[in-house]
This record gives sequence, structure tokens and C-alpha cells, in this order.
Amino acid sequence: MGSLSRWCFAIVVLGCSFGEVLAQCPDRPVSGSVVADPLALSSQDGVLSAQFVMQHSVDSNGYTHYCYNYNTGTQIVEAPTLRVSPGDELNLDIVNRIQNDDAMKMKMAMPMPTTGAVEPSCGDGGAMTVDATNMHYHGMNVPPKCHQDDVINTLIQPGTPGFKYKIPIPATQPPGLYWYHAHVHGFTEFQVNGGAAGALIVEGMEKVHPEVAGLAERVFIIRQQFQIPWIPGPYQLTLNYQVSQAIGGAKPVIQMKPGEKQFWRVANATLQDFMPLQVIVNGQPQPLQLVALDGYPLTQIRTQDTILLPPAGRAEFIVQAPPAGAEAFFFTQDYSTGPTGNPDLHQSLAAIQVSDTANAARMPKVSAQAAAVRLKYADLASQKPTAERLLFFSEEFGGTNGPIQFYITVDGQKQKVFEANEKPVITTKVGAIEDWTIENRALETHAFHMHQIHFQVLEVDGQPVTNQDLRDTIEIPFWEGSGPFHSVKVRLDFRDPTTAGVFPFHCHILLHEDLGMMHKMLVEP
Amino acid sequence: MTSHWKALLRAASFTVCLLGLSALAAAAPPYVITNDDASFPFTGVSFLSVGPGGGLIFRQQVATVGTGIGGGYFGANRILVVNGAQACVFASEAGSGDVVGIDINTLTVGGSATGSDTDTGSANGIGLAGNDQYVYAGFTDSNTIGTFKVLSGCGLMFVNGTAVAGLEGGAVNGMAVHGSMLIATYTDGTIESFNISGGTPSPNGDKQISSGTVRARGATYPNSIDITSDGHFAIFGDTATSLVVEVSDISSGKLAKTTVYSSAASISSSNVMLSPDESLLYVVNTQGASVSVLFFDKAKGRLSAGCTSAPIRGHSTDWSYLVGMALGSTTGDGDGVYVAEFPSGIARIKLKVKGKTCALREAVQSPFKTKNAAGLLSIGAFPPRAF
Repeated sequence: MGSLSRWCFAIVVLGCSFGEVLAQCPDRPVSGSVVADPLALSSQDGVLSAQFVMQHSVDSNGYTHYCYNYNTGTQIVEAPTLRVSPGDELNLDIVNRIQNDDAMKMKMAMPMPTTGAVEPSCGDGGAMTVDATNMHYHGMNVPPKCHQDDVINTLIQPGTPGFKYKIPIPATQPPGLYWYHAHVHGFTEFQVNGGAAGALIVEGMEKVHPEVAGLAERVFIIRQQFQIPWIPGPYQLTLNYQVSQAIGGAKPVIQMKPGEKQFWRVANATLQDFMPLQVIVNGQPQPLQLVALDGYPLTQIRTQDTILLPPAGRAEFIVQAPPAGAEAFFFTQDYSTGPTGNPDLHQSLAAIQVSDTANAARMPKVSAQAAAVRLKYADLASQKPTAERLLFFSEEFGGTNGPIQFYITVDGQKQKVFEANEKPVITTKVGAIEDWTIENRALETHAFHMHQIHFQVLEVDGQPVTNQDLRDTIEIPFWEGSGPFHSVKVRLDFRDPTTAGVFPFHCHILLHEDLGMMHKMLVEP
Repeated sequence: MTSHWKALLRAASFTVCLLGLSALAAAAPPYVITNDDASFPFTGVSFLSVGPGGGLIFRQQVATVGTGIGGGYFGANRILVVNGAQACVFASEAGSGDVVGIDINTLTVGGSATGSDTDTGSANGIGLAGNDQYVYAGFTDSNTIGTFKVLSGCGLMFVNGTAVAGLEGGAVNGMAVHGSMLIATYTDGTIESFNISGGTPSPNGDKQISSGTVRARGATYPNSIDITSDGHFAIFGDTATSLVVEVSDISSGKLAKTTVYSSAASISSSNVMLSPDESLLYVVNTQGASVSVLFFDKAKGRLSAGCTSAPIRGHSTDWSYLVGMALGSTTGDGDGVYVAEFPSGIARIKLKVKGKTCALREAVQSPFKTKNAAGLLSIGAFPPRAF
């Protein structure tokens, strides 16, 4: 979106001197260096236990860092990759040690509801502020319950003993790349802008698609940082926390061995960037073998040279190393988000370098006895929906500097922004299968995200799609000012009893989410 | 703004006022006039004439003393053209917090004046309404309406300020004047009228949340205002996610509860203007990249569906919002409108009406790129519509 004035709630800027800020976060990689995968923490004997300490720094260039610090015993590393298998248990302690006393800090508060709340609070309670945190396990099919994947009522306040997530990974969880990130309403953008996000991998992709077995595996998290996240302006993209200079300057370096194929697992953890991803060799986009989207294996691997990832989307694909001496880049193309959207500009994310010394972990090999994997949702396309709904995105601008309202609305209901104590706008029951058509009535592209479940894409702009992929986030292009609104029709599966509870759906442009383009739904047991 | 700066402005305006008085009056040609809303040294008001092919021709920018802000609320009209005892254009300059008057016959500054030390619209602008006696300035940030007396030669003298606020704390936004009534909108959906028979606005006691705002639970709110020539109806263009216009019967001297007209023809309707014959209401679809016309039954105050233009050229590449408008003609159906394209263009939208059908299309010569505007939101026409 274009210019705006932010926040319907109190903003008090405390001071304006540039004092020394305590550095709580580890140094990030130097631009132009070889990209390393994040540290991986794998489950042992069915359990993965770890403690993340959420901290905060402002770097010498003025960028705010929010970091999930993990102590290996010898060093502090930021946002490790969590690796679990279906049926495991994830025990994650989050300790909030944010000491956000920098001089430019803005103290903002959205109090948790004390009256009218439809669910009890979880964790420390108190006000939702830029200093409070929690965690969303994006894409995971785990219950929206306290200590699992609740983001509406869970708050972890600074200085408290911490909060324990105890998450049984469903035995039916599709293998693939998920991610975790902070999700305090009103402030998600701030913490994700600061880097509070990491990868979560559910093992077993090689059992569904043996083509990836034994391949070198790479995990790439693309993040986006603005100096002031709510003001449109120049931003930096980073690859595994290494800044990729948009114009000139040093690029991160991805190394591949000559002739090898690598299995790339790429998460778009940006605030708002729609990314048409390519691997370009000598100026030509290369064929990529797409294996999975949003953590869900495709029915069949398909080849394409561009993979569009909306904010929060993930893609897993096989990349062939370029020939020695070739000029090769991991690239994102331009993407128009519409007249009132921010321009998403093309840029190289990394240079690809062929090197005999390239080193990467390898995907497991598949035993000959491996049983065929039957994926959750595999029968969804053949099911009959029990309900159909129409939802739409819309925006309202009262001036060049605001006020601006961002809405997602169930057709027939009143347009309103999300409030923490609102009642769910949709109620359904365990066992339901629903078809939702989501229109975009705004002049800006939006990214629809559903918590807790994947949805199956049935139609785009009223036309059946060839590839009925399972997604948890999908782009809906902007309205051009005339003609029908762009839309997607998706099928949502609430048959799993673990979906029971209250959880949100929203636009995953995080500013929009923070400003209320979100609502709750209730799945009754 | 500091008192020192205001003193400087007052001195400067006094000087140019004297110069203006000594200038020879001349019959002014028709103009389209822009408040360029720019920063120093480009600040000023530009005068454009209509060429033989219908295109706009830049004639002159009258440099002003103050500075603009290049943006703000859509419904706060930053330019006021009056053609009574004297022909003046008044323009607000929210950066420096003043209102400047320009004699249209001589294209010279007649004077400028600031409000009180606390009056400010530096974030979202200063809206104007008035007549040839008084100019009212809605300072959107301080939430005050300043009353300025119009002096000979189009100078201004600050009279006083009136503190205002919406029922939910909204900021003053659009304003319109008819006879002894001033009507204001606020950003929280409140509408209110004032009695200005004594010069300074005095509340009529009709402050209310508009029906459209109530119906949409805040997701729609009145922005700009127009009033029928007989003072029977006030018409509000709403900021909304669709086209929403509200009408209030004001024949009692107070605002009655509004009736709501809505349509999915386009997005938002922050700026509205009646045609000279009051048979039509022009609606700028601020975010919808289009202009609409609704048919208006002047006797009953009812609106009905008309037509909507195709998307105006250059959306997103050359401009981001359609905002204020000026009529193409002072008679009949107005012959379409000129529309400000934020930040620096003017589109010409032509109208054809046949019975109860109409068509709007952008002229071949459109758009005209302004030379000086940095954040063009408001345009006017001279001579103005008769009411």
C-alpha cells in the first residue's frame, strides 16, 4: 500500500536521542559470504526439546533485530531450523528477554480483552505490545489451543519465566517446509521485520517423492527488513540473514558442486513481498522441479521456471547446478501488487557459485521397503462441501496519509477490522468441508492465509485450476478498476477433530494483518 | 508554526494587500485553478485556461508566501473560488498554516492570514468553505474551524477559531457553506451543522453519526459535502469500499438523519459535486480509478443510478488517487468535470446524457500534467457554479 498513517491506538514516542542500545542478538552474516543453512535441531527418540530466548537489538545501520536465540553450549545462534517427524512431540520453551530500551522505541498497547472475550487468556496475559511475543507454527495442522498453536490469546511478556509450547506433531502431518514466527496482533510486523522467524521441517518428503532422496538439501529463509516497517520505502531482502544488496554491492553466495542437483526448501518470510522466484543461468531462467508448496507435497512433481511465492509461502524444488563458469543467480522478478500496493522489485537474492568444496546436508535415502505415504487431504477434491461462503478483501482510504482501513469480510456481514474480543465471524463444526470463494475488491493484491489447516485450490477467477494444490497462503490479485474482481475458490477440510477451537484467517501482508484484516472462526467439536 | 513566522506572514500579506489594491481590475477569463500544495519555493496557486481542443493550457502560477504539505484528507477542499462582490480564490497552505487570497482579476495575492497559534493542519491539510464575506478553514489536526473575514482585494483577516470534534473524536474534514449554514464532516462519521449568520460558526445542535457510518459500523464515513441551491438538501460523498453517498434534508435549518445511496459500481466516493442544473451528482471514485454520475431528484433529494467511467488512464503509473473536481461548465449538466489526479495531474472527463442514461469518458487530451503541483488534491474553476 501507499502512504498511510498507522495505528488506531495510542502511540507515544519516547525520547528522540540515539543512545547506545544493548546488543542482544548475534551478529548476522557478512554480505557477500557463502550462505550457510540455519542450525538444525532434530528430534531425538520422538521428542525435540529446545529453549529460544527472544531478544532485541538495533544494528549499526539502524535495523531492528528480533531474534530467537538458541544456546548450543558454545555459542548463541539465531532461529534454528526445527526438524520433527510425524508423531513426534515438539517441546519449545520461549523466554522473552526483550530489553527494548532504544531511544526510538514506540510504546504501543492493545490491551487483551478483559470483558467480552470469547476465549480465556493463555500465558502471561497483559497488553499486546511490541515487547510481548508468542509463536505461530505456520501451516502446521495442530490444534489452536493454549500451549499449542494459539495466537489470539497467548502472550509472553518480557521478564517472565517463559512459556512452554508442547505440541504433538500429528501422525498425519504432511512432510515439508513450515515456518514459525511471532504473531502478537498489532505487532507481528515489527517482530518478523526484525527477523523473528525460522524454518520448521516435517521429515519424510523423500518417502512421498523419492526424487529428492539423497540430494543435497538447502534451507533458505528469505526475510525482509525495513528501517521503519510501517512506512513504505526502501527495504532489504536477506537470505538466511545475509543482506542481498538490491543494486550492486555484495550478494550472498550459494555454492553447488559441479553437476549436482540440490533440493532447495525456500520460505518467503518477508512482510509483504510477492516473489516470482527463478534460478537464472546466463540470463535464462532454468527449469525447476517443483516438489511441494506450503509444506504439502505436490501430487506430481512438475517443472516450471518461475515459482510465485506470496508472503508466507514456501516452495521446495530441485535445482540443477549451473555449468562451471556460468553466471547464475537465485532471483526474484518484479511483481505488481496494484495501484495502492507497494512495488515488489526484481533483484538477485544470491549468486550461485559452482565449487568442488560445496558442502550441504543430504536428504535421507529411501529404503526399498518404504511404505507408500497416504497424505492427509488426499481425498479432499472428491468430497462434497457442506457449506459455501463468499469472503472479500477491501480497503478504504480517507486521505493520502490515512485514515486507512483494511478489511476481510464474510459476504453479508458488516465490514470491520479485527478486534481481540470479537466473536468469530464464521462458525462451523468438526466434520465440515467448506468451499470458500475469496474475492479481492481492493486495488492492492492480498495474500489469504488460513491457520491450522491447508486448503485446496479449486478455482481461480471462476475457472477450475489444473493443479489443485494444497496451500495455506495464496495470492489474490488486485482489482483493475473495472470488470469482475479476481478471486480464488478453495476447499477447507474441518474433518480432523484437532481443528476444533477458535483460530484466525487473515491477509499475510503483515501490516494489513496488524491493522485488522483478520477475523476469527470457530470450529465446534 | 512559530509566532515569529506568523508575524512575518502577516507583514508580507499586508504588503501584497496594498499592492493588490492598487492593481487595475480586469475581466478575468475562465480558469481551472489548482492549489499546488507544494513546498517552498514552488508553493502557489496555478491558473490554467482551456484551449480550443479542450486541453488545459498553463497560464501562470501565482506564488504565495506559505507552504503546502503535498497531501492529506481527500474531502477537505483546499481551494475556494468566490465570485461575488469581488472575484477571489482562496487556498490553504497547511505547511505554514495560512490561508491565502488571490484576486482573480489581477492574479495577485491579496493577502494571507493564519489562524491562532494552535491552529494546525500540517499532517492532513486545511479544508476551506465560505462565501464572499467569510472564509472558514478546517484545521484538521488541531480540530478547529478558523473564521476569516474577507477583505477588499481578496485579503483575509483572522477573526477567531472554534474548537470542534466528532462524536467519536473524529477530526474535521470536509465543509460546505450555504446561506447561514456551514456543514462539516468528521473522520469518525460525524456530521454537524453550524449557524454562521454572525460570522463565527455556532453549533446548530444536530451533531450525529451518519446513517451510512452506523449501517457500516464505521466502515464508511462522510467526507466531502455539497448543498443544493435552495438549501434543501446536503449531500455527502463517503469514503467507503464501494460508492456510498448520503443525503440529509436541511430545510429545517438542521441536519436530518441521512438516507444512504450505495452502489458496487466503483470504490469510494470521497468527493461529490452537483451539476449546475442539479440534475446530476458527480462522484469521484477516489480509489476506484473512475468517475461516476448519479441522477439527482432535486425535489425529493433522491439519487438513482447513472453511469461510471472506464478506469481513468495512468492509474498507478502516473497517479494514485482521484480527488477534487471542477465542473467543465457553469450551466446545464456541467459538461463533465476536471478531476485532480494526485499528485500532479488533471483528468478531463466528458459527459453525455440522454434521458435517464449517461456515459462518461476521458477526453483524448486528458490528462494534463501540472507544472507545479506536488500533491494535487484540490482544483476549482472560475467562474464557479452559481451556488
